[in-house]
Amino acid sequence: MPAAIRNLRNNPHFLFARLPNLLSFICVVVGVVWLLLLPLNEYSRQTYISENALLPGQVHAYFTGSEQNIFRGYKRELEGLLNDGQARGGQKDEAEVTAAVSDKLQSILQAAGLKVATQKYEYTSAGITHQGENTYAIIHAPRGDATEAIVLVAPWITADDKLNLNGVTLALTLARYFKRWSLWSKDIIFLITPDSKSGTQAWIDAYHDMHPASVQPLPLKSGALQGALVIEYPLDHRFQSLHIVYDGVNGQLPNLDLFNTAVAIAGGQMGIGANLQEMWGHDDSYEHRLQTMFRGMTKQGLGYATGAHSSFMPYHIDAITLQTKGEGWEDEMALGRTIESLCRSLNNLLEHLHQSFFFYLLMQSNRFVSIGTYLPSAMLIAGNFTIMAIALWMRTGYYPESKPSAKPMNEKGSAEEKAKTDGIAERHLALPLSLVVGLHLLGLVPLWVFNNIFHQYFTTTTYIFVVVDIILPLFLAAILSNGLGLSNPIIPQQYHLIKSFSLLLLGLSLSTLATLNFSLSFMIGLLCAPLSFVARLQGSAPFRLATSSLGLVLLNLVSPPTVLLGVCWYMGISVETVLTQAAFGWDIWGMWTQVVVWCVWWPAWLIGCVLLWSSMF
Amino acid sequence: MALLFRFLQAFAVLLLVSTVATEHTSNWAVLVSTSRFWFNYRHLANVLSLYRTVKRLGIPDSQIILMLPDDMACNPRNAFPGTVYSNADRAVDLYGDNIEVDYRGYEVTVENFIRLLTDRLDEDVPRSKRLGSDAGSNVLVYMTGHGGDQFLKFQDAEEIGAWDLADAFGQMWEKKRYHELLFMIDTCQANTMYTHFYSPNIVATGSSEIDQSSYSHHADNDVGVAVIDRWTYYVLEFLETQVTSVTSKLNLGDLFDSYDESKIHSQPGVRWDLFPGGEQEGRLRTVVDFFGNVQNVEVENANATEPGSLKEDLAEIARLVEKWQKRDEEYSAILGNSAGNVTEDLPSSSLHLKLKSTVGTTKMAEDGSWGKRLVGIYVVGACAAIWVAGSILGRSSV
Repeated sequence: MPAAIRNLRNNPHFLFARLPNLLSFICVVVGVVWLLLLPLNEYSRQTYISENALLPGQVHAYFTGSEQNIFRGYKRELEGLLNDGQARGGQKDEAEVTAAVSDKLQSILQAAGLKVATQKYEYTSAGITHQGENTYAIIHAPRGDATEAIVLVAPWITADDKLNLNGVTLALTLARYFKRWSLWSKDIIFLITPDSKSGTQAWIDAYHDMHPASVQPLPLKSGALQGALVIEYPLDHRFQSLHIVYDGVNGQLPNLDLFNTAVAIAGGQMGIGANLQEMWGHDDSYEHRLQTMFRGMTKQGLGYATGAHSSFMPYHIDAITLQTKGEGWEDEMALGRTIESLCRSLNNLLEHLHQSFFFYLLMQSNRFVSIGTYLPSAMLIAGNFTIMAIALWMRTGYYPESKPSAKPMNEKGSAEEKAKTDGIAERHLALPLSLVVGLHLLGLVPLWVFNNIFHQYFTTTTYIFVVVDIILPLFLAAILSNGLGLSNPIIPQQYHLIKSFSLLLLGLSLSTLATLNFSLSFMIGLLCAPLSFVARLQGSAPFRLATSSLGLVLLNLVSPPTVLLGVCWYMGISVETVLTQAAFGWDIWGMWTQVVVWCVWWPAWLIGCVLLWSSMF
Repeated sequence: MALLFRFLQAFAVLLLVSTVATEHTSNWAVLVSTSRFWFNYRHLANVLSLYRTVKRLGIPDSQIILMLPDDMACNPRNAFPGTVYSNADRAVDLYGDNIEVDYRGYEVTVENFIRLLTDRLDEDVPRSKRLGSDAGSNVLVYMTGHGGDQFLKFQDAEEIGAWDLADAFGQMWEKKRYHELLFMIDTCQANTMYTHFYSPNIVATGSSEIDQSSYSHHADNDVGVAVIDRWTYYVLEFLETQVTSVTSKLNLGDLFDSYDESKIHSQPGVRWDLFPGGEQEGRLRTVVDFFGNVQNVEVENANATEPGSLKEDLAEIARLVEKWQKRDEEYSAILGNSAGNVTEDLPSSSLHLKLKSTVGTTKMAEDGSWGKRLVGIYVVGACAAIWVAGSILGRSSV
């Protein structure tokens, strides 16, 4: 063993150049393999209810029989008003926001004995104005103190842009039905929003007095919100199974207990199957588990709101959406009973949901991995950058064999000579540091541009940025190599330092991000993995030219704008839609994905390109 | 009729013999639930069921210490406000209208429990919160809640250890606070709680072995929670169906033999070794020795003969009775001799009653009315003179 260490110390090329590359590569490979192992039975776990107070499915749900007549009555009334709106011109979407519908909602809720209020809001994002009016009503707990509340949300338009007539009607029927129970320990709030994107956000912001000026404050409030359920029943026939959507903004998730309770009640008590992540025919095989996990990771990584429930998550309110799917024999009463039973479970809560996991990856409705198991995967990938950065830093301080390209300075000649004989080189930090910091600050420009221009210019701007991504590194490389306007030409050590600082920042950011949004960190880490192995090439001119141009082509394929275009092309969505959604997320939901893309990924990518371009000079 | 009478006589003799054999003079029950929160409804129902049973068998509220950390009847989640049931048939409302909770809410703490057992309470603590047992008392201690290996959780903040409990009982014995003690506990790993007991005359029984959970029996789908634990359910079933009155002859052996592991789903345990005579003697103690009530009077120094002792008093009373009887006989003999002159022989006291004078109404006298009027005029005149003089003097001084 000592002999091996001595050999290693006597072989600096291996220690500083080969070994880090090897280690980094192993880290990336192990990180990916780790993730692929997670769906196996040995690494994932069966879900379980952690919170004793929930007692899912222990109560009999009585929402049946005559309540169905009430449901039909309400539905007919609303349908009539919606048809009127449609007849007067305008599309289905336009019909909902008519004052007549809103008045009808209020009068129904008032007649059921609830306190009713409305809230108008208006948002502008990427040149598009979103406005609407929320209607909500509160059942005060007859024997409880008004310190806690549960929210039931029924958006007029579902997350899939369908009219949610049955869902809204069900909410109204449940409001009337719940009002007659005396066993609520928490207030119950019924919220009818015009859409699934902005309505709940406006309402929840105003509930916590965090709303912008364009959103009205709430005239009526209750206690701290303990949980929220979103009802979506856009079908006009009986359904087969429930689809539970749980992803929040920025990859935040509700407490796993809430999801488990919903699965336990739907599956165990009501006999309705529960699906997740649009996996309809889940056969519990490895492939399906992996696919479910990847779908979950994609949503988490992109960080957008997947339904009306997502807006609750930033306020630490656990929320899920229940969507009806498929053609089967379950009717609105079955959905109503499921929600009744879920509300009874939430009603049993004594404290905020906290027992179970907030960081998890689900791969089946009853299987998950927790953060302790999956985190090493993203950490290893983030760690590969840090390993490389540290190795480069050590290498820049250790130059026994190479002759520095710069001539020894006359003033410090003796000192440098001494340093060189010891194998220690002085580091020139100013240029690398300012370049890396400058490029990271430059990331603010695309961040601002993509969140503030009008939506019709998004596609053009993306193409412009593809071109900028080619020109900007070339320009920077030319300046650095030829010393245009610079007094001292750059030395190889400084290229290493530039790369070291860039990777160090990348590794730091990604490992921090991994604890907050694992999937985003993993995705960015994987896309940035080539940057660890990109450096300024040395050797004969034809070799350098050939290799670096190949490298540049490949690197440009994984640049942020190219990846965006590629994904949009593959998914068949227009770039404009994606970017409008992203800008909407940034402006209204408080989505941070763009910051990671433009201020972490993009600068690191630019520096990789600069290094490759510079080997051409 | 005569046969029935003889039978009753024999029964009474038997009863007398049995009570003499156990030699205890009072019964006390300490019934403790240690967990709060709605989802622990069953623990409170356990305790209330037992409370109802011991009351039925005659222990009065003043001799029952009931500790309930939470109020399930008034919980807003309770679909049946004001009631607690231990069965989904909801036949018996355990909360009812006659219930005395001695320690409630946050008063149910380890400290209060140990102070109660060992009587280390302030002077101003009311009698209802004291365990007034003495060397002649049979004490039933029933506990239920969430526990583990050698501990039982109290509410959410603290726990009592097996040693704490053993020491508390040890001190009770030293302070002559029990004659015999039956300890019952229904919690997970319950049998570990009595492993450290060292004071004599204790029979202990628990619901489950170490590393075993104690399970709930069934849930009520309208209340929405489990309403009773298995072990308690079957103990109660025995008590309610077999021990129907205070005269029941069923003994502890019968109770413990009724444990059915296939029903309880855990292994209940019994500890006899602290009891004098061990299992053989212990088994003979009747169930009502602990669950029922006796009020035998223990007579101190029954055989002493010095002045003031009971024997002497009894002898004196006998002498007095004899004396009065003799006088009575003499008196009746006199009556028989002179039936004619009864009035003459009447005691003098009865004559006084007749001579008592009555006080009637009196007429107001009208004498000297003019004299009184003159005095009145004179007084008014004097007052007027003083007033006039005072006003003149006051004016001149100003």
